[in-house]
Amino acid sequence: MRKSALTGETYDCKPTLKDQQVVDLCRNGYLMLDGVVPGEVNRRVVEFLDKHDGPEPVEILKEDWFVDAVIKNPRGAGAVRSLLGKDFALPTQVANHRVHCPKPATNWHQDAGSMITPRLDYLQVFYYPQAVTREMGPTEILPGSHLHQRSGGYLSRLRSLKDSVPTVSSPGTIFLTVYSIWHRRSASTVTEIRNNLKYNYWRTVEPCRDWDTDPDFNFSWPTNEFPPFSVRTAQMLAWLCGEDWQHTGGQSWPCFVSMAYDSDQPGLPEGLRRDRKG
Amino acid sequence: MVDAVQVAQWLGKLRQGTLSETDLKQALHRLKQGRESSTGQRLLYLQTYTSDLESPVLGMSIVEDGKVNDGPDDPDDWPYQTVLEAMSDGWRIVKFPELVLGYLNPEFGGMNWEFILEK
Repeated sequence: MRKSALTGETYDCKPTLKDQQVVDLCRNGYLMLDGVVPGEVNRRVVEFLDKHDGPEPVEILKEDWFVDAVIKNPRGAGAVRSLLGKDFALPTQVANHRVHCPKPATNWHQDAGSMITPRLDYLQVFYYPQAVTREMGPTEILPGSHLHQRSGGYLSRLRSLKDSVPTVSSPGTIFLTVYSIWHRRSASTVTEIRNNLKYNYWRTVEPCRDWDTDPDFNFSWPTNEFPPFSVRTAQMLAWLCGEDWQHTGGQSWPCFVSMAYDSDQPGLPEGLRRDRKG
Repeated sequence: MVDAVQVAQWLGKLRQGTLSETDLKQALHRLKQGRESSTGQRLLYLQTYTSDLESPVLGMSIVEDGKVNDGPDDPDDWPYQTVLEAMSDGWRIVKFPELVLGYLNPEFGGMNWEFILEK
């Protein structure tokens, strides 16, 4: 692992994601953890943000109660630990998309700095301290779009997208995204203030499959679903597992089928096989 | 004339509880005038799954009355589910998808296939 210029504190905790959740993160480009931050902390965060109402309230990262309950949230950090490995670097910046609703939707975009790659060296994480209804203009994301490089100018003409997901959430929801996922603020129609904190975590170690694994998990034979378990998705999963990419085309992994077989699919990386023949 | 796009917009507003008397008065005015919403060009952007005219619509927006509109919130309420449906309602294609984009990024999800239509 090359040494990066990361300056943040590192942290380790118990990984919480199971194999299927990691597969889904690679496929969808995001993972919702609904209502995982306690209500008292959420209320305190809202009060803090009323007093520090700028676009980058970095002061909140100096508050131990916030870092412990949100940044190091057992479910949120456990998911980060699963995807970025042990001793991941904690956020050093935080943005708040504080919206005085009602507001029109923003354009679809990938955030500046997006890189389309099978590597997962960092995660962009969002945290809603309040409940966010459809009328409050939740962040809208397009599942599977994290693997498609597009400039803001290209995306800006897009408006309503059938497969987009509005991140309607309970208070205290944390959602993890692959940084390059297409997203926008959706239109809001109520009169209210909506906070949405955004920050990054960083990998410091080489990837390996050390989350909450199941030795009997069947990675073979993905089914045809949306978004698809594409070649690029499979490359990301293989990279996360520390496996060599062995795709050979045709009906080899990750070619989809209508039903999963018990045997290993040809082309499945060696470390993911269960040594079962068809 | 009132067309599927406008009815779909009113349906969306009705479901959100924002349909107003003004909307219906405007519709009545247009019907009395016997013409479409304005003398300006109306554009309909439809993004589709493939370059086929019968391919399902994945994204839409409409330009009319000097505004860009997202269309109804619920995709089931979108006025057209294929480009062919829009053509049958009087929309004319002014731009076909750039096929070269499919070679640059052939995987699904890139919103490469876009038809622009006008009335």
